[in-house]
This record gives sequence, C-alpha cells and structure tokens, in this order.
Amino acid sequence: MNIRNVDKSTWIYLLIAGLLCVVPFFVTGRSMQFLLIQIFVFAIFAMSYDLLLGYTGIISFGHVMFFGIGAYSTAIVLDRFEATLGAVLLSVVIALVIAGVVSLIVGVLTLRLKSHFYAMLTLALAGLFLVAAEKWTPLTGGNDGFTFRLPPFLRDSLTMYFISLAALVLLFFGLRRLTYSPFGRVLMAIRENEKRTASLGFNVVYYKVMASVVSGLVASIAGVLYILSLRFVDTSVFATEVTIDVLLMTIIGGVGTLIGPIIGAGLVEFAHHWLSGLSDVHWIFERWIILYGTIYILVVIFFPLGIVGTIRAKFFNRPVKGITQKQTEEKPESA
Amino acid sequence: MDLFVTLGINGLATGMLIFLLASGLTLIFGLMDVLNFAHGGLFIWGAYSGVWFYHLTDSFTVAIVTAIATGLVLGLIMEKVIVKPVYGNHIQQILITLGFMLVLQEVIKVVFGPHQIAVSPPAFLDGSFVVGDVVFIKYRLFIILLGLFVFIATSYLFSKTRIGLVVRAGVIDKEMVQSLGINIKLVFTAVFMLGSALAALSGVLHAPYSGVLYAEMGLEFSILAFIVVIIGGMGSFRGSLFAALLVGLTQAFMAYYVPALSLATNMLLMTAVLIFRPQGLFTAKA
Repeated sequence: MNIRNVDKSTWIYLLIAGLLCVVPFFVTGRSMQFLLIQIFVFAIFAMSYDLLLGYTGIISFGHVMFFGIGAYSTAIVLDRFEATLGAVLLSVVIALVIAGVVSLIVGVLTLRLKSHFYAMLTLALAGLFLVAAEKWTPLTGGNDGFTFRLPPFLRDSLTMYFISLAALVLLFFGLRRLTYSPFGRVLMAIRENEKRTASLGFNVVYYKVMASVVSGLVASIAGVLYILSLRFVDTSVFATEVTIDVLLMTIIGGVGTLIGPIIGAGLVEFAHHWLSGLSDVHWIFERWIILYGTIYILVVIFFPLGIVGTIRAKFFNRPVKGITQKQTEEKPESA
Repeated sequence: MDLFVTLGINGLATGMLIFLLASGLTLIFGLMDVLNFAHGGLFIWGAYSGVWFYHLTDSFTVAIVTAIATGLVLGLIMEKVIVKPVYGNHIQQILITLGFMLVLQEVIKVVFGPHQIAVSPPAFLDGSFVVGDVVFIKYRLFIILLGLFVFIATSYLFSKTRIGLVVRAGVIDKEMVQSLGINIKLVFTAVFMLGSALAALSGVLHAPYSGVLYAEMGLEFSILAFIVVIIGGMGSFRGSLFAALLVGLTQAFMAYYVPALSLATNMLLMTAVLIFRPQGLFTAKA
C-alpha cells in the first residue's frame, strides 16, 4: 500500500492511539487506569451497536446479550480450566461461536419483519439469558456471581490496558474498513431506503443479518475484555440498563459514525464516575439517572446528530443522514 | 378441580390488569403509530399518586380518580412536549420515550421516596367468599369485572360512536379528516391522554393486587405491555385482551406447575409468536 494514499484522518486516529499508549505512564492511579479500560471496552461495545443502529438502521434492545455471552464464556472457561493463555483464547472462540449463532438465528427470524420486531425479540432473548444466568446456578453462580483466576500475564492492569487499547484500535480500523467497503455502502443504502435498495437487486435480508452477526461478534469481544478487567462476573452483564447506557453513548457521540460511539463511551463513563462520586455532596446526585433521561430527551430533540455528526455537518459540510430523518414509507396505504 | 378454578381466576385477574395496561399502549401504537416506551412510567405514576391519596383519604374511589387524572395530565404533557417532535420516526420515538421513562421512574423516587410501599386492598373489597370448595378473592373478581367493563366501553367508543369514527378516519387519512373541519391534532391528543389514563388506572389497580410498589416496576411493565401488544397484534383491542389473558393464565399455571420456568414465560410466549405468527395473533383492521 502506498503510504501517500492513506487518508489524512487515519493519521490523526493513529496519533491519538499513540498518545493513549503513553497515558498510563502519566496516569498512575489504579482507579483511573481502570476507568480508561472501561472506556475502551464500552467504546468497542458502542461501535458494534452503532454498526446496527447508525449504519443499518436497526434498533436492538438486547444487544447486551452478546456482551454477556462474551463475559460468561470467558469467566466460566477460566473458572473450569487452568488459567492459561490457551484457556483465554479458547474462551474467546467459544464466545464468538455462541454470539455468532445467536445473532444469526435472531437475525434470520426477525430481520425480514419491520424494525421493532428485531428490537423486541432481542429484548426477549436478553431477558431469557438473564433468567438463565440467574437460574443455572451450578454454572453461573446465580445472582451472587463468582470470581475467577486470571492467567499470570493478565494480572497487571497495565497489560490489560494495552490489550483493550489494541483491541479498540484494531476493531475501529477493521469496522471502518468494513463501512467503507461495498458491503458497508449497501448497509447505508438500506438505512436510507430499504425498498429502493431491494429493487436495485440487493438481498436486503442477507445484508441485515450479516450486519447483526458482525455486530454481535464485536460485542462479545467487548464482553470478554470487560470480564477480564473485572475478574468477577454476575448477572449484571445481562442487564437492560447496559443496553440503555450503550444506546446513550451511541446517540450522544453521533450515530452513523464510528468515532462518535468512542467519544460517547468516554463521556458517559466519565460522567458515571463523577456523578456517582458526587452523591455525598448533594442528594440530587443519587438520582443522577434523571439527568441521564433528560439528556436523552434533549439530545433527541435538539442534537439528533450527536457530537461528531453535528461537527461534521457544521464544519465539514458533510450532512449525516440516517435515523434522524422521518420514515415515510411505513405509512399504511389508504384503501 | 377447585385448584384449577383458583389458578384460572388468578390468571384472569392478572390478565385483566395487563389488558388495562396494554389497551392504552395499543391505542397509542395502533392508532397513532407511536412506540411509547414510557407507558410503564404512566403506569407507575398512576399507582404512586393513587396510593398516596388512598393512604391519605382512605378511599379507594379517590385513589382511582386521582390515578386517572394523573394519567390524563401526564399524557397531555407527554404528547405536547415529548412525542410531538418525533411523529413518524420510530427510532427517535423509542429513544425519546425511553429517556422520559427514566425521568419518570427517578422522579418517583424523589417525590415519594426510594423505598418500597406496601398497599392493601380497601375494606369493602378485602377478603373472600367460598362457593363449594372454591375460594373467590373479592379483589380479583372486582378487577375482572372492571377490566371487562373497560374493554366493552372502549370497544363501544371506537366502533359505535361518532368520536370513534373520527379517530378511525383520522388514522386512515389525516389530511382528509382535517379538511372536513375536524381538529385532528386535538383528537389525537385526546387519544393519547386516554391511553395514558388507562395505563395509570391499571397502575392503581395493580397496587393492592401485588401488595407492594417500587419505582423500577415502570420499566418492567413497559416491556410487559409491549410483549402483550406484540402477541395480540399491534392495534387490535380484541387481540390485546386475548393476549393479556393468555399471558396472565400462562403465568398463573406456570408459576404453580413449572416454577423454574415462570420467569421466562412471557419471553417464551413472545418468541414463539414472533417466530410462527409475527404479525400477532389478531391483526387490526385498517
């Protein structure tokens, strides 16, 4: 590849990634490092979500199930086997296989229908996974969860930091490549006008199912990284609240962009950290979810493009279309 | 046999409560094409405000009236402020109503406190009577009767009266109805308020039935209402009634015979319906 052909923005992203490599040597506090790892993990998760919501125009309410699948696969494998690199890799493979199969089944079943059916079936399945994790106590430890041992080389939080960062950078460039490819363009065409895309001869259902599978796979990797950094698993990895969080990250950062969800993840995680710390100062901060909900409403009304989308529209004159426009084709035909 | 009847009545009562909740949602979704994820928030506000007045005045009638009033007011505010900017865009509707749901749920904790509240049925509905071997709990019979009444009243309103005619015509062609001199926006606001009031009513009736209130019920019931509306078929009143009773009965029997699976009942039902009959059991007429 000729180095001159590399996009200017690629250099900027690589520069930011390089800067992030240096950060842990200046920020030494363990809690700060942990927070940064969380941001990377949720950035991966939010990117996978945006591939569905922002690029393909599919909304999912159960995206957390892929996250949870990744988390539980790794935790259970490391709990049952010797904690080695091999076990970690095995658990990643298991997570990918389960997430792939589940997302394929859900996609095939509902993506031929109207958009909200996918949302509801994923919500239902995520609920089933949550119940399974609560009830299948011998395997999952039920509500209490369980701790597990990590392989020695992963115990250092600095290693974990670099692994998460590397995963984020690789997946970011991978997904960017995917969205710039003909495949990604078809996804965006589906988002803009599904009927027209179909009439151009594209098998819309196939593309949507593939988007849902890729998104599920990436989300399960986020789950694996999350649980490796936490060293403890419980049923909260299947909670609907996590999906709501990731939805907020995506829309605040900017739907239909990949850098948006990363920024959104950073903002939301920092906000979590600070606001929950502020609850000693004033009782209203204990109810910080009010603020959350209000931000949701305000963003949808006044700021539907998110941070990145707004900047792009304002300064680069690149209007971002997508889920913000009205859907006109769904109107019922009058008899 | 008597066990069967008891479980059946339990199931029917639960189902009727779910129907009241889902009928509001099916109105809002089926007629106005709005995906309202804050429906459970209206439910929980109806419950809390009703119970607050119930404990204050000791009159269940006052509680019901308060709940309905709360539902109407919240419905009005919601339609004017939250839903109006996002008509016609499902994804934005989902996002914004979800945000409103979170706000409603947390404001409950600020206003009424974050702790659970215990509620008991009013004196004249407390207790039970026995016919043969079967125990009839008064409050459950009351709910079943009230649910049937609401079903008949709303069905009559929408299929037999002039108001119903206007609403149905407005769903098919908004501009046409408008050009005939009817303020269709006002009509739709009223429909939204009616749906909200039904949610609030089901909330206050649910309080003594479950015996306890907590703010997180909101999101749970939002999801439950959607499950029922999807099983029944979007926008169909009969479908909602049928699906709600089905969910209620299945829950009652599963909880007794297969308790391990009872938590997953709704999800399994919905998954089965989505796979085999994705348009729902009943499909609404246009």
